[in-house]
Amino acid sequence: MNEYKFNDINIGLGESFEVLIADGMMDSFKKITGDINPLHTDCNYAKSKGYTDRVVYGMLISSFYSTLVGLYLPGKHSLLQAINISFNVPVFIGDRLIVYGEVTYINEAYKQLEIKAFITNQNNKKVSKAKIKASLYE
Amino acid sequence: MDKIEILERVQEIFRDVFDDENLNIKRDNTAADIEDWDSLANINLVVAMEKEFNIKYIIEEIQVLRDVGDMIDLIYKKLELDNE
Repeated sequence: MNEYKFNDINIGLGESFEVLIADGMMDSFKKITGDINPLHTDCNYAKSKGYTDRVVYGMLISSFYSTLVGLYLPGKHSLLQAINISFNVPVFIGDRLIVYGEVTYINEAYKQLEIKAFITNQNNKKVSKAKIKASLYE
Repeated sequence: MDKIEILERVQEIFRDVFDDENLNIKRDNTAADIEDWDSLANINLVVAMEKEFNIKYIIEEIQVLRDVGDMIDLIYKKLELDNE
């Protein structure tokens, strides 16, 4: 876990990590949220809608923005305050994703960062984009 | 830039932050006058003003602001200092 403090941060600072989307993640997300929409739970239904397999929950993908802020940028001393997210390309089980974030603005008064973030798949397609606001305790 | 022009630009910031195109602010407005003016909205206002007027605040300057009028006066003062 990174432990950036406010004075360590500069515009352009970036961090990334990789995540493999596994079947178990879909089951866990379904249990937590109760979202049993067949697009996410029924392969045949998803195929009937033109997809190659069940579509991974967008909010499951976006949960990795929490990991980005909480573990990587800035890490331990962070408090997530706002995220504006788009889901640009569908994600499927087995996809290998890279989650990347970069500091684009620093507010000294409230020790708040603005982070431009995106997630790419193994084909280098952006599957999601986000604008994140997070502050630091230290 | 005079204080009337600053007020007009600050009004646009308030409309954007509170997502209300009909919001009309006055100098004596405080957080008590706008229902959604919470701590996070306050940060959003401060950051938006920094970007709009190309200024930087320190926390001590913000802590003493009582109303919209104080906000406008502080922006005016900072812009005047930049021009000196």
